[in-house]
Amino acid sequence: MLKNKLSILKLIVLVVLCVGLRNVNAQSAMDLRINEILVHNDSNYVDDFGEHSAWIEIYNSAFNSVNVGGLYLTDDITNPTKYYIPKGQPITLIPQESYIVFWADNEPDRGIRHLNFKLQESKTICLFDSNGKTLIDSVTIKSPQKTDVTYGRLEDGEAKWGFLEKSTPGANNDTKPKVSEADKFVKFDPSGIGMALIAMSVVFTGLALLYLFFKGLGLIMTKEARRAEKLLKISSPGVIKQGLSGEVNAAIVMALYLYGNEMHDQEDPVITMTKVSRTYSPWSSKIYGLRKSPR
Amino acid sequence: MENTSFFTFIIDHLGQFLEYTAFANMTIGHIVMIMIGLAFIYLAISREYEPMLLVPIGFGILVGNIAFQPGSEIGVYESGSVMNYLYFGVLKGVYPPLIFLGIGAMTDFSALISNPKLMLVGAAAQLGIFGAYGIALALGYSPSEAGAIAIIGGADGPTAIFVSSRLAPELMGAIAVSAYSYMALVPVIQPPFMKLLTNSKERLIRMKPPRPVSKQEKIIFPIAGLLLTCFLVPSGLPLLAMLFLGNLLKESTVTKRLADTAKGPMIDIVTILIGLTVGASTQASNFLTMKSLGIFFLGALAFAIATIGGVGFVKIINLFLKEGNKINPLIGNAGVSAVPASARVSQVVGLSYDKTNHLLMHAMGPNVAGVIGSAVAAGVLLSFLF
Repeated sequence: MLKNKLSILKLIVLVVLCVGLRNVNAQSAMDLRINEILVHNDSNYVDDFGEHSAWIEIYNSAFNSVNVGGLYLTDDITNPTKYYIPKGQPITLIPQESYIVFWADNEPDRGIRHLNFKLQESKTICLFDSNGKTLIDSVTIKSPQKTDVTYGRLEDGEAKWGFLEKSTPGANNDTKPKVSEADKFVKFDPSGIGMALIAMSVVFTGLALLYLFFKGLGLIMTKEARRAEKLLKISSPGVIKQGLSGEVNAAIVMALYLYGNEMHDQEDPVITMTKVSRTYSPWSSKIYGLRKSPR
Repeated sequence: MENTSFFTFIIDHLGQFLEYTAFANMTIGHIVMIMIGLAFIYLAISREYEPMLLVPIGFGILVGNIAFQPGSEIGVYESGSVMNYLYFGVLKGVYPPLIFLGIGAMTDFSALISNPKLMLVGAAAQLGIFGAYGIALALGYSPSEAGAIAIIGGADGPTAIFVSSRLAPELMGAIAVSAYSYMALVPVIQPPFMKLLTNSKERLIRMKPPRPVSKQEKIIFPIAGLLLTCFLVPSGLPLLAMLFLGNLLKESTVTKRLADTAKGPMIDIVTILIGLTVGASTQASNFLTMKSLGIFFLGALAFAIATIGGVGFVKIINLFLKEGNKINPLIGNAGVSAVPASARVSQVVGLSYDKTNHLLMHAMGPNVAGVIGSAVAAGVLLSFLF
C-alpha cells in the first residue's frame, strides 16, 4: 500500500517536472540572439573609427539585463572560442530587449566591440556560452548578400530571417507601425461584450475552482468534526458542549462596534488604573547589557 | 548711489522671490483642487468617511496644488524631487502589493471557507468592471483607458492604482481619487439598488449560521487560493501572492510578528505614502479635465453595476437552492471588495427590515471573495490590454 502511494507520488513529481521543464526560460545568456548582420558595408553604419565595416547585432530577448562578457563569437564552428568577449566591461551588459553591435573588421585592437574576423558569405556565425561548448545561437550567412542591405530576423528574436527594408543597428528590426495589444483587442470587440464574456468567465472559473476545492474540503472537515464529536460523547457521556452560533457572535460584535463608536472621543470621568503587563523579551532586557555594581 | 543700488537689489530680489511664491503661480484650477482637498479632509474627519484614506489623499491634494515655479524639483512629476521618489512606488506599482500583504494579514476568510458558494457572489460583482469597460469604450476612451477606468468597479483602491499605473498612468490620479471616493460613499450608493432589486420576502431570508472552520482549512486557504487563481491568471500575481502570503502569515500562527508588522506599521506607512502621493498627483492641470469628469461618472456607474451584479446573482442562484439554504440577496452588494464597508451596508440594510437578522458575518464571505475577484479581474485586464 505504502509502496503504491510512493510510486504515485514519484509519478506526480515526474509529471510536474516534465511539464515544468518543458518551457523553462532561463532569462540568461541563452536568451541572446544573433539578430541582424551586414556583410558588405559601403555607405551604411560607421564605426567609432569612421570606417564602414561589416557588423553583427546581438539582441537580448530576456526581460532582464544579460551580460555578453565572457561569451565567444566565431565564424568557425570548429573553433568556438575564436573571439572572447572580455568580461567586466559596462558596455557588454545588454538591458532587457536591447542590443549590442560588434564590428567584424578583424581589428581586435580597436576595442572590445571589434572582432578578430571579417564576415564572409556562406560562413556560419556562432555565439557560444562562457564554457566554449554550449551553442547559444548561430546563423549561416546566405549567399549572395546585398551591399548596404542587412540580413536579419524579420522580428527581433523570432525565427524567420530575410533581407530587411531598413538596416537597424541597435534598434528594432520591425520598423512597421505597431498596433498595441489593446487596439488589436478592441478592433474585434469594439463594444466590450467579448471582454466582459471572457473576463467574467475567467473570474468565475478562478473562484469556482476555489469554491469546488473548499466545498470538498469542507465536507471532509465536517465529517471529521462529527466523528471527533461522537468520540468525545462516548469518552465523556455526561458533558454537553455547545458553542455560540454565528448569529449570536455577529450580534455581539455589532453591539460592541456600535458601543465603541458611540463612546468615541467622549471623556469618561472614571479613571481606571491598570498595571501594564510586559512580556519578558531578552532583546529589550537590560540586565545582560549592564555590569554588576562593584561591592 | 550705494543706497539706491541696495534698494534696487532688495526690490529686484523681493520681486524674484514673489515670482516663486504660490500666490504668483496660482490659477483657478489650483483653488478648485484645494477646495476639493479640503472637502475630503472635512468628510474624513467630520463624517468619518474612510478617514485612513481620505485624510492623506485630501492632504495630498493640498500638497499637489500649491503652485510653484516649474523646474524647482518640488512637484510630484518633477524628476529628482522628494515627492517624485515617493511617487515611484505608485507609478511602478510597488505600494499596492504591499497594501495587499497587510490586507491579507488582517482578513479572516472563515466566513468564505465555511460557505464557499459565496465566492461566486464575489465573482458576479465584478460585472461592474466589465460593464463600465464597455460604456467607457462607447464614450470614446481608448481601450487601455477604458480598462483602467473600469477597474474602479472592483471597489479596491490598491487594485485600481496597480492597473491604472500600467494601462493609463496619466489618468491614475483621477482613477484613484474616484475609486477611494466611491468606496467612502458605498453606504450612500449601494442601498437604493439593494432595495430596488429585492422584495420584502427576500430581505427577511435568514441564513444558516456559518460552521466553525478549522485551523487546517484556514492554512490551506491561502496556499490553494494562490495556486488555483494564479495558475489561471498569472498577471494578478503581485496582488494575489501578497494577499495570500499575508493571510498565511496570520493563519499559520507561527509568524505572528510578521503578520503584526504587515497588518500594522507596514500597511500604515504604505497607506500614508500612497494616499499622500496619489493626492499630490492630482495637480489641477492634469486633473481638471473632461476626462476626469468622465472617470467620476463611469466610477459611479461601475459601482452601481457591481451592486446590481452581486444582488442579481444571489437572486438567480436562490432559484436553484432549497428552502433553508437560500442566501439573503442583501449580501450580494458585498461582492465588491470595499472591505468591510459594503458588508457593513448589508448588515445595516438587513437590520432595517429585521432587527434580529444579522447579515454581517455572511456578508464578509462575498466581501473577501470580492478582493480575490477584483485582483483576478485586474489580471485579466492586464493580460488583454497591457
